[in-house]
Amino acid sequence: MLRIEHLTKHYKGSSKGVTDLSLHIAPGDIYAFIGHNGAGKTTTLKCVAGIQDFDAGTIQISGRDIRKDPLACKRQFAYIPDNPDLYEYLTGIQYLNFTADIFGVGAREREERIRTYAEAFEITASLGDLISAYSHGMKQKLALLSALVHKPKLLILDEPFVGLDPKAAVVLKGIMHSICTEGGAIFFSTHVLEVAEKLCNKVAIIKDGTLVASGDMEIIVKQGQSLESIFMEVVEHADTN
Amino acid sequence: MLTQIRILTKLELCNLYGLNVFRFSKDKKAKKKSLSLLAIWVILVAMLVFYVGGLTYGLIYLGLEAAVPAYLISVSSLLIFIFDILKAGSVIFRKEGYDILCALPLSKGAVVVSRLLKMYMEDLLVTLAVLLPGMVVYAWNVHPGVGFYLTVLLCIGSIPLIPMAASIFIGALITGISSRMRRKSLVAAGLLILAVLGIMYGSSRLSAIEGNIDSEMLKNLSASMMSLLGKVFPPAVWFGACITRGDILGGVLCAALSLAVFAVVAAGVILCFQKVCQGLYSNVAKHNYQMGALKANSVLSSLCRREFRRYFSSSIYVANTIIGPIMGCVLSGALLVTGTETLKKLLPLPIDIGQVLPFLIAGVFCMMTTTATSISMEGKNWWIVKSLPLSAKNILDAKILMNLLLFLPFYLLSELFLIFALKPGTGELLWLLLIPAAIILFSCVYGITINLHLPLLEWESEVRVVKQSASSMLGSMGGIILAILCAVAVGIVPEGYAAYLKAGICVVILTATAVLYHKNNHFFYLRE
Repeated sequence: MLRIEHLTKHYKGSSKGVTDLSLHIAPGDIYAFIGHNGAGKTTTLKCVAGIQDFDAGTIQISGRDIRKDPLACKRQFAYIPDNPDLYEYLTGIQYLNFTADIFGVGAREREERIRTYAEAFEITASLGDLISAYSHGMKQKLALLSALVHKPKLLILDEPFVGLDPKAAVVLKGIMHSICTEGGAIFFSTHVLEVAEKLCNKVAIIKDGTLVASGDMEIIVKQGQSLESIFMEVVEHADTN
Repeated sequence: MLTQIRILTKLELCNLYGLNVFRFSKDKKAKKKSLSLLAIWVILVAMLVFYVGGLTYGLIYLGLEAAVPAYLISVSSLLIFIFDILKAGSVIFRKEGYDILCALPLSKGAVVVSRLLKMYMEDLLVTLAVLLPGMVVYAWNVHPGVGFYLTVLLCIGSIPLIPMAASIFIGALITGISSRMRRKSLVAAGLLILAVLGIMYGSSRLSAIEGNIDSEMLKNLSASMMSLLGKVFPPAVWFGACITRGDILGGVLCAALSLAVFAVVAAGVILCFQKVCQGLYSNVAKHNYQMGALKANSVLSSLCRREFRRYFSSSIYVANTIIGPIMGCVLSGALLVTGTETLKKLLPLPIDIGQVLPFLIAGVFCMMTTTATSISMEGKNWWIVKSLPLSAKNILDAKILMNLLLFLPFYLLSELFLIFALKPGTGELLWLLLIPAAIILFSCVYGITINLHLPLLEWESEVRVVKQSASSMLGSMGGIILAILCAVAVGIVPEGYAAYLKAGICVVILTATAVLYHKNNHFFYLRE
């Protein structure tokens, strides 16, 4: 589904970035991407989403290269940043219609999906209001709805649980599971290690732009240990090396 | 309170014209862009300095040296007044940072004063750019006494205060009225346009006064000029008189009066600041939406609708870009009412007005296209279009189409007025319709080109994009310069060749438009 090979991205005049990062995400995977602040998670996600150019490496989505065929790649996925700045001059329903139009979603399909997900996230009544009147959590819910309205094969999410109320977080986890059951995949960054441990089948740990561990959650998190202790152990080990 | 004002003003001024970003940014591209913007400013200021210097020399040569200070003060005051009217509301009642400042133990007075001081610093630079070169030329030729220099030093800081106070009063009033309305941006834009049209009408009345100067008054041109300036902006004459006489006490009185006027307006703004901000930034959420049938649209239609909604959500964006087409219609309408003879008298050019009129109208229409800042206006939302499966062509076509659709009704109305006013033959009718259309189309595509090369996506206020960005300055020049060059070319060729030249100009403009359009759609920036 998503194949990142030797991704390198450095910002001019800064030590931050990503170095030689490789990851493979298969259909059915819920892949957690964890690391401290400034480790390179958002940079990686932005490169995958085609928002940011990179210095070296390749990124393929369903076998297509994001650089060579960006439009075909972008039709496959939905991306939501950590702080979704949406068009505040549109109403919620106008924004959803806009996204659906771009992806060519038919009138009946979009209506069904918006109805289903808006009810699940409990924001149907607010869809007629301007986005500028939305709280942070409502914006996050709307961004999720806009991602789900075109039924993407791959969901790329940067800190998706931040700002969501507990019920919406449960709903999102359920949706993530159902996408993967239908052959889709999720690649998301998070700082909430408990969520990552319970929700994901795979995990990648990044430190200072370099991948320090990745693979099946069951293999990485050994019996009797938590992802939190493994994360601390791996990061400290990387420090001493 | 004074400490608060000092801290907040420092904060406001530290990124004046993007200075702080330039100082601390490690991005070489961003630094290059800042330097290119600085270079544009230097060129514009240099042009202004030469213009003012030449004008002053001309006035002295005509024996009008007594009117020079008052004249220059009027020019700088008019510039400050017009620019500040458009931006005052957006600068003073700026949303960015409002919540953070409100949560801090700061007085609202300190917040308002710091924002006013930022405006004052910008306006002082305008005053210095106009007055200093003029005063240098004046001093070089007239050799005034020490009193002149002392009075200039004393007065120069207070010269921007009265025009600032007037524009802040109008700008705050417009923002205050619109804050009570549901469609705040549209109401504010409408009122701003009315204010600018009012100023234009006032200027035309001024021309009428100037036209009525009789032969007796012409004998004493300097006094006539002072009398005229006195009618327009009396403080300019008071300041001017103090400077030419070297009257330090008079200068102190003028400065004190300006400060008093400014203080009264500032106090008014402080009193209504919180109420206006609350009106502007409190969003009414009805929370009563019910799902109904939804309609699918094409990608272009959906993008174009979004462009229109973005456009009408910003009063300063609307006011800045719609004024050109409105002026185009007003000019064409005036031509229909008054006839071409009046225009010939107003513009005593040695060429046939009918021949160059299509270019003049096109130039007025293209004073500021929406496309020149349309990419910058995306700001922090830019990630959305970049992450969607949209090609550069999809995005840019929508921006161009929106601009063309916006100008279309004004273009049609203006053309209708012109056709009735000029009663052209078949050939002339073709050029009358085609030339403005070609120049408008070129300007829209050229605006995109400029904004693609000079985007400004990280901004705190829309004022920075619409009024102060490099793309807004360069974008507004393309159509006007093209129109002027074409008008001059058509004006100087023999009448028998004018039709061929117009045909050639249309072909060249449309070819250039096609080339720019093609290049825009393949610009790397969108593919990143």
